[in-house]
Amino acid sequence: MPKPVVLKSNKYGINLILDNRMDFEELLKCIMERFKEAEGFFKNAKMAISFEGRDLTQEEEFRIVETITDNTNVNIICILDNDALKEELIKQKIEHFEEEQAGKTGEFYKGTLRSGQILDCESSIIILGDINPGAKVISKGNIVVLGALKGNAYAGANGNEQAFVAALEMDPIQVKIGDVIGRSADKVKSTKKRGRKQPVLIEPQVAIVKDGNIYIEPITKGLLNNI
Amino acid sequence: MSEVIVITSGKGGVGKTTTTANVGTGLAQLDKKVVLIDTDIGLRNLDVVMGLENRIVYNLVDVVEGNCRMKQALIKDKRYPNLSLLPSAQTRDKTAVSPEQMVKLIDELREDFDYILLDCPAGIEQGFKNAIAGADRALVVTTPEVSAIRDADRIIGLLGANDVKNVELIVNRLRMDMVKRGDMMNINDVTDILAIELIGAVPDDEQIVISTNQGEPLVGSDCLAGQAYANICHRLLGEQVPFLDLEVKSSVWNKLRDIFKKN
Repeated sequence: MPKPVVLKSNKYGINLILDNRMDFEELLKCIMERFKEAEGFFKNAKMAISFEGRDLTQEEEFRIVETITDNTNVNIICILDNDALKEELIKQKIEHFEEEQAGKTGEFYKGTLRSGQILDCESSIIILGDINPGAKVISKGNIVVLGALKGNAYAGANGNEQAFVAALEMDPIQVKIGDVIGRSADKVKSTKKRGRKQPVLIEPQVAIVKDGNIYIEPITKGLLNNI
Repeated sequence: MSEVIVITSGKGGVGKTTTTANVGTGLAQLDKKVVLIDTDIGLRNLDVVMGLENRIVYNLVDVVEGNCRMKQALIKDKRYPNLSLLPSAQTRDKTAVSPEQMVKLIDELREDFDYILLDCPAGIEQGFKNAIAGADRALVVTTPEVSAIRDADRIIGLLGANDVKNVELIVNRLRMDMVKRGDMMNINDVTDILAIELIGAVPDDEQIVISTNQGEPLVGSDCLAGQAYANICHRLLGEQVPFLDLEVKSSVWNKLRDIFKKN
């Protein structure tokens, strides 16, 4: 027969796993016994308590706490809800909120990011300067570079594939948006032409995710409306 | 007021030691009191480039550990009375000295010299940290190659993180013939990426090899590299000096080719 009362410690304190069918008064006795056994271990511990396995009314909860505090040296600070579903819901809400905030709020960073430097940002980030090869920008929102992006950029770092990376000069080593990674094209061996280099046309571009791939396109009004 | 300048690059073999030797000698020629410190413990060679190897009795580690007085370790250059060298130890490694000890050592030298030049080892480990610990100003040496520029970029970032605010760039070993052909980055390409003030561009010059082998810095001589180093010294003193025209003198053949290319 399983024990009517099981004590389990967690991050905050003690989780009581209670028998579902036993009479409440009898259960109370079991709880008292169980705590008395463990009293040496708890000593004057201060802890939070939570219940599992049995639906308790508020009155019943209070009575349990009373029983414990009256009969042992344990201090119960508070009763915690132990509702896995609720916790999950709250977690989701918070994450969703964070995601929304990351896309809406932004920070500025002034200066050139050099090789080996990492800029990690909870919100969107606007960089007034270059990101050199070997440097990395991570943002939970969007990344805008008013300069040359020649290093690594990681937008939507919490998995948001709606994020984008924009730069005045787009020449990144790698771009990651959400969980999609794109890397620069391997350098084609320049067909050796005698004479001066062809000037490369540099224009502002934006990297976005489409159908699970990263696309880098010139910034146009139509494109901006779709972001 | 003395100034402490560290010469650094990240990558090895780009010309830190040669630059230190030539800039130091150049400043001494301009009547400044200069001391060169080789911080490359275990791989010393500034003394060789300066031609002073045979005079080493005590070294930097001896001074730090108190085996000798500063005066005993400093080697006076035979050619310039106001130029001294504090050589590094060859039988120890970088951990023999700490950044705090370097700061103390430099502060001791500040009273007697106008310029204290630190020749930094390659890399970003302890040796680098020692070298930049007491520096007011940094000269970052790079060659026009992507690998050297990448390392220089990292170094500039680290200098900023360690509060060395005054950082200037020397582009070394430029080959104008290759730049002209489009096979080598030009100075603008380099300064575009690194985004710091340029204080000098030194052409690739056979004379450099000869001078380092002979232990005789060539600054101030009439070859292009010698002039370039002399100009760097003037700029360090705050003078405005136009950049050298590094253009190779065109042969008739080159001129003909240029004419055809234009059409």
